[in-house]
Amino acid sequence: MRLRPRHLRTRLTLWYVAVLASLLVLAWGGTCALLFWQLRSQLDHFAVQEIETVEGLFYFTPDGQLHMREDYHNHPESKDVIERYLEVVTADGAVLLRNERLGSRMLGGEIFAGEGVGGYSQRTAQLSDGTPVRVVSRMHVLDGHRILIRLAHSEEPLLLRMKDLLLASLVVLPVVLAAAGFAGYSLARRALSPIEQMARRAQEITPERLDARLASDYSDDELRQLAGVFNDTLARLEKAFEQLRRFTADASHELRTPLAMIRSVGEVGLQKDGTRAEYRDIVGSMLEEVNRLTSLLDSLLTISRADSGHIQLHRTPVPVLALVRDAAAIFEILIEEKALKLSVEGEESAQVEGDRMFLRQAFVNVIHNAVKYSPVGGSIAARVRTGEEGLVVVEIADHGPGIPPEDQSKVFDRFYRVDKARWRESGGAGLGLSIVKWSVEAHGGAVTLESRPNEGCTFRISLPAAVVGLSQVSKPM
Amino acid sequence: MQVHTGEPYKESVHILVVEDEQKMAQALREGLEADDYSVRVAHTGEEGFYLVQAQPFDLVILDVMLPGHDGFEILATLRKRGVKTPVLLLTSRDAVEDRVRGLDTGADDYLVKPFAFPELLARTRALLRRGSNDANPRFKLADLEVDVAQRAAFRGGQSLELTAREFDLLSYLFENRGRVVSREMLARDIWRETSRQTPLDNVIDAQIVRLRRKVDGQFASKLLHTVRGVGFVLREEGES
Repeated sequence: MRLRPRHLRTRLTLWYVAVLASLLVLAWGGTCALLFWQLRSQLDHFAVQEIETVEGLFYFTPDGQLHMREDYHNHPESKDVIERYLEVVTADGAVLLRNERLGSRMLGGEIFAGEGVGGYSQRTAQLSDGTPVRVVSRMHVLDGHRILIRLAHSEEPLLLRMKDLLLASLVVLPVVLAAAGFAGYSLARRALSPIEQMARRAQEITPERLDARLASDYSDDELRQLAGVFNDTLARLEKAFEQLRRFTADASHELRTPLAMIRSVGEVGLQKDGTRAEYRDIVGSMLEEVNRLTSLLDSLLTISRADSGHIQLHRTPVPVLALVRDAAAIFEILIEEKALKLSVEGEESAQVEGDRMFLRQAFVNVIHNAVKYSPVGGSIAARVRTGEEGLVVVEIADHGPGIPPEDQSKVFDRFYRVDKARWRESGGAGLGLSIVKWSVEAHGGAVTLESRPNEGCTFRISLPAAVVGLSQVSKPM
Repeated sequence: MQVHTGEPYKESVHILVVEDEQKMAQALREGLEADDYSVRVAHTGEEGFYLVQAQPFDLVILDVMLPGHDGFEILATLRKRGVKTPVLLLTSRDAVEDRVRGLDTGADDYLVKPFAFPELLARTRALLRRGSNDANPRFKLADLEVDVAQRAAFRGGQSLELTAREFDLLSYLFENRGRVVSREMLARDIWRETSRQTPLDNVIDAQIVRLRRKVDGQFASKLLHTVRGVGFVLREEGES
């Protein structure tokens, strides 16, 4: 089982204490090691000094015994103050002298190669009773004899001091950590309390109460920003909910209309006996409504997939002018029938990076709109140009009745139709332009409308131009 | 009386329909029988599964949404057992993943509900025809003649001036002569429009009006007819 505190403030404090503890241990340990190392080198230093002092005090008696002069003390008892261990051996290892403090214990054992030659050799060793010592040796020549002087001090006091220091730290460290932990905890709690407050408030916001907002009068910039972001999200959510509500209402109305017609036509048809031809006509009329329902459902499905982000764009470089021509070609026959004049012109080189199918759909819908609303003999102009700021702009202008200013902002809304009564003949549920808007915006572009009543409409679609090589940018003259 | 030529003798064509909705199953049975296929209906996936193994069918029309084991599962099991009968999936979900899944599982074709019945018949014919190479370069109906290889059409011996699209349209109607062709079929097969949202209906209607003017215009007997709510059909008058 893994323990994981529920509250962020507890977790923060625990982390903080853990980090502090490891830092303290590291720092403390480092300090102790450094101290120990320095004290020991001090010890070595003293030993070297003392070797130089005692060196001059040795003398050989005529019988070959080595002695050390110790009669220079003013107070003979001062001798006891001296803590050194001293051993002198011949070059082949025979012990010549051991001082009183050392007694019969060995200091350093066998001579190792090069010990005390040409300088001072330092090492850590143990006396035979286990006392840890720091030994310094020096080879010396006295009366023609090579003697090795070994001088040592006990490391015991040093180690004792280190032990005391560590013990002290074991007592002090927890106290420091507890204090730091407490301080950290209360700090974290204070810093986090507005967030808790926000969470409580946010919890009260339900789909029915989306108009509620978080208080944003926090002094902290970060918190104010958080509240702001949250409130923006809420605002968008509220808008989306509202749109969805309206969409559902509109969609059910649109679906109900053909259904009502199917029902009435069927019921009325069954009321009296008809001829075979009459029945065929009734069934045919019902099927027409079914087709309308089907295509409405298809459009609704596309829209809902687009809304939920389920549509993935397969982007490839698309030459815009060719695509507009392709879209316009679909309506060739309608254009001929209505004796319309359609011109498609502009920069052949204009390219965008986009999903061919959805871009085409957008152009098809706008051109279809223009064809639908153009009077017989009218003209439609489609123009493609590269605009400023790396945009490709497609303008599709007709000379139809235009759209009244008060309706212009609504043409891209779902189910919007300028002429509510006319949609049956022109065959649309008012979804075409909303699909245009979705498609263009999904490509990072924008679509706008300019219209004056009785002068026609101009739809302007701007899309980010594809990044192409320099050779392709040059405009055809 | 029948104008079909070069088709397999249909009484011998057995189709299994696996569909749990009674009304839909009944409509499919009647529609297919009206086209002279011999039809067997299974109302559950399990029933369909045993029927396919018990007797040979030429085609299985399989609904995806079935109680218990769904169409995908039935199809996968059939294919695993090495049953190679062509399968036409009926699905009410238009999601691309569903189509891909269906075709990956081993379906030969799929149709999204609601579909136009003429389209179901056309797909059925296409699946049954698959493999048999039936290139028929010349069609004739009453005094209307089409030479596919030459891309030429004649009415009463007179050459008709048709645009490329009008010619394609006429040949397509000829291939399906005597049967109703829906706007969806024309949009897909003649205009090559994959998206069902492209507003082609007006375009198709206008194109048909043009073609009719050229084909039937000055002639007393009309061959190209509109069937309200369904589509268009090429046939001699009085025939149904």
